[in-house]
Amino acid sequence: MSDGGGSVTELTPRLSAEEQAALKDVWAVYERHYDEIQEATLAAAEADPHLRALLAEQRAGQHRSDPAASRRLLREALQEGRWEGLLESLREQGGYYARLGLPFSSWFVVVTAAQRVLLNRLFETHAADPPRLLAAITALGIFLFDVTLAAIGDEYLRTRESVIEQQQAAIQELSTPVLPLRPGLIILPIIGTIDTGRARHLTEHLLEGIRAYRAKVVVMDLTGVPAVDSAVANHLLQTVRAARLLGARTVVTGISTQNAQTLTRIGVDLSGLITTADLQGGIEEAEWLLSSLRAERGATAVDATGSAAPRGD
Amino acid sequence: VAVPILKQGSFLIASVQSALTDAEMVELRSSLTERVSRHRSRAVIVDVSGLDVIDSFTARTLQDLTRAVRLKGAQAVVVGIQPQVAFAMVQLGLFLEGVTTALDLDEGLGLLMQREARVHAGE
Repeated sequence: MSDGGGSVTELTPRLSAEEQAALKDVWAVYERHYDEIQEATLAAAEADPHLRALLAEQRAGQHRSDPAASRRLLREALQEGRWEGLLESLREQGGYYARLGLPFSSWFVVVTAAQRVLLNRLFETHAADPPRLLAAITALGIFLFDVTLAAIGDEYLRTRESVIEQQQAAIQELSTPVLPLRPGLIILPIIGTIDTGRARHLTEHLLEGIRAYRAKVVVMDLTGVPAVDSAVANHLLQTVRAARLLGARTVVTGISTQNAQTLTRIGVDLSGLITTADLQGGIEEAEWLLSSLRAERGATAVDATGSAAPRGD
Repeated sequence: VAVPILKQGSFLIASVQSALTDAEMVELRSSLTERVSRHRSRAVIVDVSGLDVIDSFTARTLQDLTRAVRLKGAQAVVVGIQPQVAFAMVQLGLFLEGVTTALDLDEGLGLLMQREARVHAGE
């Protein structure tokens, strides 16, 4: 999930020489008390309901994280000032846990647990040298919050956004079904607001539907469209015209009283459209159109009873 | 000739297989119109299913063709416009007003036979 948009370099902290030096102190303390910190963070994670569930799952499956590797990355960053590996790994983890649905707040639980131990040990180690202690504490804060949580948070946002995008696409796909009613007749119920993107999708969907079902008449139902303004009307006109290029007539139904008044007030010309008040009327109109086609064709082949029996063509 | 024109009873069928230059498009229009007289055809079908793009010149020429053929007492039907082509056309404002369209050759023939039948029935 580390593709696109923000790169790792964007997140790389700009540290002064003093801060980078102070981070070495932090690393020294971290390294010395590694086991204690691991214990403390694990205990904190066990206390957090979301993390506990996740840890149990991970134990059941294969353990994903590699403590030795993350320790090496941490040393590279804190000791040597090489952040790329660590940031990449943080983002990867952020994306992974975001997809698992772990709340971002759980990260604070872990980070503050580590911070507590580190602060205690830093105080012990550098009690005799307050300026050095202060520098180390400041550097620790930068490292934990400005770097670690920022990198994870960044990836969280990115992951969530991509989930939202996927869901929007799914909703769009679901919300424009093309329903075959009988041979030659399909219904396109439109529900929800129509914007340019959706209008495009809708038109493409309908055109494919016309071809797939060999439709001669389309009933486009707008009962579920809350507002029809001039932009929406133009989109719909385009859809109707595109359908006609494939040889299909379109009956537009379900324009509400309010929408009808809006359209006439703003002067949108819909005179080229066949419109009916409701879906029922639209289907009746469509049947009439179809049966007139069928009766004409039937004059040469079968008797024109106007029955709705499917033709074998 | 770039586009083969088939005579099927009283119908002429032109099947455009690949993209045409403007000159070829004009030639198609002329030769179809001319053949309507020569064969005393009742209708012309132009199958454009082979076209990935229909630009404004092509669209206008198809409209001109329809009008010219109609002046000779025959009908014209454009068939086989691909969905993505239709979508692009309406985006460009090319609606082929006044041109009869059908999904494919089969539908186009069906449509014309209906109309013929109606004429013979005296409607």
